[in-house]
Amino acid sequence: MARYILKRLLMMIITIWIIVTLTFVLMKAVPGSPFNEERTTNETVQANLEAHYNLDEPYIVQYLLYLKSIVTFDFGPSIKQPTETVNDLLGRGFPISFELGIVTIIVAVISGIILGILAALRHNGIIDYVAMSFAVLGISIPNFVLATLLIQKLAVDWGLFPPATWSSPAHMVLPVIALATGPMAIIARLTRSTMLEVLTQDYIKMARAKGLSPWKIVFKHALKNALMPVVTIMGTLLAGILTGTFVIEKIFAIPGMGRYFVESINQRDYPVIMGTTVFYSAFLIFMLFLVDIAYGILDPRIKIHKKGGGE
Amino acid sequence: MKKGLLLLLTALTVIILAACTANESAGKKKDDGGGADEGTETTDEKVLYMNNGDEPTSFNPPEGFDSVSWTSLNNLMEGLTRLGKDDKPQPAMAEKWDISEDGKTYTFHIRENANWSNGDPVTAGDFVYAWKELLNPDNAFSTAFLGYFIEGGEAYNSGEGSADDVAVKAVDDKTFEVTLTAPTGFFLHVITNPAFFPVNEKVAKENPEWYAEADSFVSNGPFKLESWKHNSEMVFVKNDQYWDKDTVKLDKIHWAMVTETNTEYQMFESDELDMTEIPSDMAEQLIDGDNVTIEDQAGLYFYRFNVTQEPFQNAKIRKAFAMAVNQQDIVDFVTKNKEEAAKGFVSPGFVGPNGKDFREVNGDLVEFNPEEAKKLLEEGMKEEGYDKLPPVTLTYNTDEAHKAIAETLQGMFSENLGVDVTLENTEWNVFLEDQKGLKHQLSRSSFLFDYGDPVNFLESFITDSSMNRTGWSNEEYDKLIQSAKTETNEEKRWESMYKAEKLLAEEMPIFPIHYYNQVYIYKDNITGIVRHPVGYLELKWADKK
Repeated sequence: MARYILKRLLMMIITIWIIVTLTFVLMKAVPGSPFNEERTTNETVQANLEAHYNLDEPYIVQYLLYLKSIVTFDFGPSIKQPTETVNDLLGRGFPISFELGIVTIIVAVISGIILGILAALRHNGIIDYVAMSFAVLGISIPNFVLATLLIQKLAVDWGLFPPATWSSPAHMVLPVIALATGPMAIIARLTRSTMLEVLTQDYIKMARAKGLSPWKIVFKHALKNALMPVVTIMGTLLAGILTGTFVIEKIFAIPGMGRYFVESINQRDYPVIMGTTVFYSAFLIFMLFLVDIAYGILDPRIKIHKKGGGE
Repeated sequence: MKKGLLLLLTALTVIILAACTANESAGKKKDDGGGADEGTETTDEKVLYMNNGDEPTSFNPPEGFDSVSWTSLNNLMEGLTRLGKDDKPQPAMAEKWDISEDGKTYTFHIRENANWSNGDPVTAGDFVYAWKELLNPDNAFSTAFLGYFIEGGEAYNSGEGSADDVAVKAVDDKTFEVTLTAPTGFFLHVITNPAFFPVNEKVAKENPEWYAEADSFVSNGPFKLESWKHNSEMVFVKNDQYWDKDTVKLDKIHWAMVTETNTEYQMFESDELDMTEIPSDMAEQLIDGDNVTIEDQAGLYFYRFNVTQEPFQNAKIRKAFAMAVNQQDIVDFVTKNKEEAAKGFVSPGFVGPNGKDFREVNGDLVEFNPEEAKKLLEEGMKEEGYDKLPPVTLTYNTDEAHKAIAETLQGMFSENLGVDVTLENTEWNVFLEDQKGLKHQLSRSSFLFDYGDPVNFLESFITDSSMNRTGWSNEEYDKLIQSAKTETNEEKRWESMYKAEKLLAEEMPIFPIHYYNQVYIYKDNITGIVRHPVGYLELKWADKK
């Protein structure tokens, strides 16, 4: 186990290094500069700015400076928000995105699984049709459309929740619904289809024949196996939602970190691009690693260590 | 198997616990930040709820060169002069001033009762310190060019001179003297700009990042910064050290930071904001509403020709394209935001020494005239020996509003000139890079004034200016602008600017679409908010009934 983890860690570092290098190359290949403005600028000021942020150095020096910043976890000041360092931006934005994300995930997973199970148990019944039409709607309505709709109806027209910004649990309700609906629908559909498959397996028939109660069969025997595909998508889902979503955070004026992924690229704010990329990829890789470990726990047939002395 | 289940359960518990603590902290935050607000509702405090649009880039005065910084900063601080309700510079930190005979040296007398919010007096030294920081090349402020009016400013900023050669000095604690490179008739307006705000030298030396947090921020304007939750909200309170505090009626200003105009409007509808912009897709329904105020904003939406590429090296062809555009139709049926269609380049609102508006004197210079346009196109093509016009591509940066105008122009060129232009859109930053590199043929542009004189815009088109971006160069124009920047006699100076604009219309390296405006909806009980055509939001006189 330890050897496996060590090996995976090494792979993670190499992967991140490749991502960083590719990002650097792409970032420099895209035309533009952080100091492009439509309004008055002049050459002297421009030159001073470039010197200030080491952008006048040869690419190789800039690349090494970036690598250094990654190793030391100090990405330096943002070019567009000069009073803040990239670490400040991430340090402030991430907890908020994480808070919103974790609630969203819990809501999506719990409601998705329940919906999926109900649909599978009442296969081809009313509940199945209702649940699945709901799921199809959830997948096909983009979350920003849902978000605007929710604000208009629940906040402006009926005054049930605050329309936007981020300061109390009530402010969380609308963004969580908007953000959770899509993943919930995906999870519901996945759970339903694998559940249907699992329910026809011999060991379930066996359990039934033994006279176990239907609840026990579903929760103790069927569900665990039905959850495998859900676990598979959890890695990417977690990383995507926990590090913030640009559109939802923008619509609800949530001060998370989602915006930095998009805005830093538009503004060519190189340190922020680097910071967010490294942060996101490290997070994603770590989540995938957790998922692999979870497989081993859920399904003993999958061994994460091929050789070695067992547990 | 059991062990596996146990692990799963533990994992779940951990996640749920994590979520719960996350929720708790969310609840607490409400108590810290929101508690103050609740207090305000029970008392009779006047709190204005505004939207700043985004996190200010920087509250260090010369650093935050954008509206998200300066709109709010303008209400925290004050320069030597401040724009009055009439949009003209009025005494502010400086009670009065003397101007030398050659018009180059200004001596400002700072008010005895001008104080910082921490009680320190505002001194001439604070201005010397701030203005030298503005020009310091190590700071690399993009506003530094505004300081080039000061003698020695450009040399210091470009690394050729030193800070000591910048002609600003503190004669005594309350007397500040500045010498300019040329008599600059509009200098008193220039220094209302936040880039020229003073900085409390004592505070800045102790804590170079004094402007980054509410705790360390010292202000000298109508309000002071009480709290600042980055990316989320700011609260300003009335500054009782302000010399003119009796004029200030509001007790507090609460600033949200909402980027989406749709969300802003929805918050306004649910009474969480006192003011909103109009979302572009709702302009038609809302623009004629009761509480809509429409004010001028000095600036121009225009298109640039690239005179180094065929067929726009020919002035007649350029003019033909310009005259084929019906600006009135664009503002009436495309933007629908009640802008004024532009028939000249300098926007209305600049009053010359004769008391007349610049626009009034120069009149309409670019008229919509399809017949004349067709004729000019034929003549131009003959001059160049074209049987068929070389292909023309019109480029704009990716944005729905710009796209709508570009498509309309395409239609107008086709209908009025019989020319089919190709449309192309690129991402903003690439667009700017290409425009500077003269890679476009015909491209979208806009300009907003930084200070209140027409030369601010007109000087963009002198030879090799980084703002030119057309490849156009004209010796006579360069001379006129030179005179507009250095001439002591105001009447002659304005005469040069009138001529310069006419020359621009004759040569037509650019063509105008519309002047800018500022459209807002206010709640019924809000009065006294002032927005200047050039300058930043003023809440000093604002009141909430």
